[in-house]
Amino acid sequence: MNKKRSLMFSVVRGALAIGIALLVAAFLIFVSSKGNSFGARLGATFESLKAMLIQPLIRTNGSFSVKGFTDILAGMIPIIFTGLATCVMFSANQFNLGSEGGILLGAFVTSLVAVYAPLPGVLLPIVAIAAGAIATAIMMLIPAVLKAKLNVSEMVNSLMLNYVIMYVIKFLMNAFIADKTKGTVQTSNFQANAALPQLINNGSKLSIGFVIAIVVTILIALFMYRTRWGYAIRMIGINQKFSMYSGMNVAMVIILAQVIGGLLAGMGGGIEMLGRNLYFDWLAQPGYGWTGVTVAILAGNNPAFVPLAAFFMAYLEKGCTLMSTYASVPAQLIDIIQAVIFLFFAADQFLSKYRQRLVVKSAEEELREKMIDATVEGSVK
Amino acid sequence: MLQMIFTPEFFFAIFRITAPILFATMAAVICEKAGVSNIGLEGTMMISALFGSLFAYYSGSWFIGLLVAIVTGILVSLFMGFFAFNLKTDIILTGTAVNMIGSGGTIFLVKVITGITQGTQLTSTTSLITQKLQIPSITIPFINQIPVIGNVLSGHSLLTYLAFISVFLTWVLLYRTPLGLNIRSVGENPHAASSVGVSVLRIKYITMVIAGILCGMGGAFMSMYYAMGWSLDMLAGRGFIALAAQAMGAGEPLGCMLSALIFGFAQALGIKLSATGVDSNLVSPIPYLVTIIGLVVFAIIARRRAKRAHHEKVSA
Repeated sequence: MNKKRSLMFSVVRGALAIGIALLVAAFLIFVSSKGNSFGARLGATFESLKAMLIQPLIRTNGSFSVKGFTDILAGMIPIIFTGLATCVMFSANQFNLGSEGGILLGAFVTSLVAVYAPLPGVLLPIVAIAAGAIATAIMMLIPAVLKAKLNVSEMVNSLMLNYVIMYVIKFLMNAFIADKTKGTVQTSNFQANAALPQLINNGSKLSIGFVIAIVVTILIALFMYRTRWGYAIRMIGINQKFSMYSGMNVAMVIILAQVIGGLLAGMGGGIEMLGRNLYFDWLAQPGYGWTGVTVAILAGNNPAFVPLAAFFMAYLEKGCTLMSTYASVPAQLIDIIQAVIFLFFAADQFLSKYRQRLVVKSAEEELREKMIDATVEGSVK
Repeated sequence: MLQMIFTPEFFFAIFRITAPILFATMAAVICEKAGVSNIGLEGTMMISALFGSLFAYYSGSWFIGLLVAIVTGILVSLFMGFFAFNLKTDIILTGTAVNMIGSGGTIFLVKVITGITQGTQLTSTTSLITQKLQIPSITIPFINQIPVIGNVLSGHSLLTYLAFISVFLTWVLLYRTPLGLNIRSVGENPHAASSVGVSVLRIKYITMVIAGILCGMGGAFMSMYYAMGWSLDMLAGRGFIALAAQAMGAGEPLGCMLSALIFGFAQALGIKLSATGVDSNLVSPIPYLVTIIGLVVFAIIARRRAKRAHHEKVSA
């Protein structure tokens, strides 16, 4: 199949997956909408869908909403990081689902440094975020080394670690760290110089973290497609046995992929904290890790597409929040939409007959061209 | 201290806590035997738990609630099967999607049904399940007369007994029935199985249905007995712990039951400790840590055994 056709196929397939998910969403909104007659409920459904799909960027009076746009960009920051983390780990065929706990741990460690470390100026946020990233990378060594050396499922271990991290942070917060003068369980405020500079001052909390996220995306894309290590990670994902027989250090690469995943997730947690919050108060799993999995699937595990997928997810998230405020449809609808998109995106056989037809068509065309070439050559001779 | 902890109630609690993990573990055992890595057990149980409790409330009967939970479990499993087997979505991702629906999607449904749409407060159906709708407990005659043992073994919920019976049934199914043989052969070598006329797809679907039934019972146990109502994140990783128990027990029903009991023990101990004043956040991670340690220990033992077998083969 030629490149253009295969690209077209991917686009059609993706659009159809999203379309199906929106149909499911429309159905669920219809079921949950209030109204006396069928028509009234249909109208309410339409209004809700409009709120979800259009209002994130377009105000009710039809003008473009800058605030909405920056809100979405700000929402992309953490899920770009967890998306990249998942991309790298899934590329090596490591189903590590620890970026959920990872982003929590990164945020926590960064916060501790930001509250307590007496560091001057820009050094504080840099050291704080680095500390969060390194702590999470070290945490990821647990499932990584156990997988590489003992072949223990990284998936189960990372899921277990998510819970362990959550409870340990809760314990530490309650027992030692929480600022008892505050009404809720939270740390004292970060030192003033820890806050990341904001790109725009409109309350969106769009910090310089966004720029960092894009830079990191480019770096990871280069790493995965332009370095030996990135190549090794992808090869092991494609065929581990072949990689081993061709002399790669498989165990090392498996560990490397997950440590990089940890670095990214932890960094995302730290940046989210210092870019958006004044103090740490995450006492439950924030959910960014799971969205990161969706982002990675939408991006086809290719880091270059992660910002695009993250934009889409942040847009949907914002749309669902708006819908829950204006149209009283619960915002958790996003989880269902997300799951459906994700299922169809990852479905190998989805539209496979259509793809088959395209492949056959391309092959026939190629054959015909070759035959024409051959007859032309023949006549010349 | 020890006498304070190891009371008959404590051992009773171990069985009670192990039951839902055991249902999921047996589901994992059967799925894994058929070569299906079902990580959606958590989500399947969450969804079953919700529908079970809701229908018990609406119908006013625990039995209908239980039936609905089981049917829900089957439907969710078939849904997973459709994506994993027919559309060839990676089974791990299919499971992850089901888990997403299990956490966020169920809240959506609860909010729609209860009419709460805003606010971050935890929504739940805890007010719905009353004593009357709880899955009944069974007092076993004679055994309940025996001191100590009677207190430990008698008076459990119907489903607790079913959970332990399901271990035996799983064993019978896998090793004493033609279906079990087919399941194992499909898991071991699907090509060989299909070459002798076994429909791999059919067997995998049957496996998912059985897993769905087990998850449905596990979910019903959680929302209609253990917690008396559905609430957010109520499964707290039990579906994942079941996967670990499956791995630790090397996929054999009895061994997996023992592994599940270890987690039940760890959790019961945690609850007991927090009752004596230890911070509950400090004891809550114990079952998860035990899972990791258990997996590591199991892997080391398995590796040693494999090495020894290899040496014996070489020297022989």
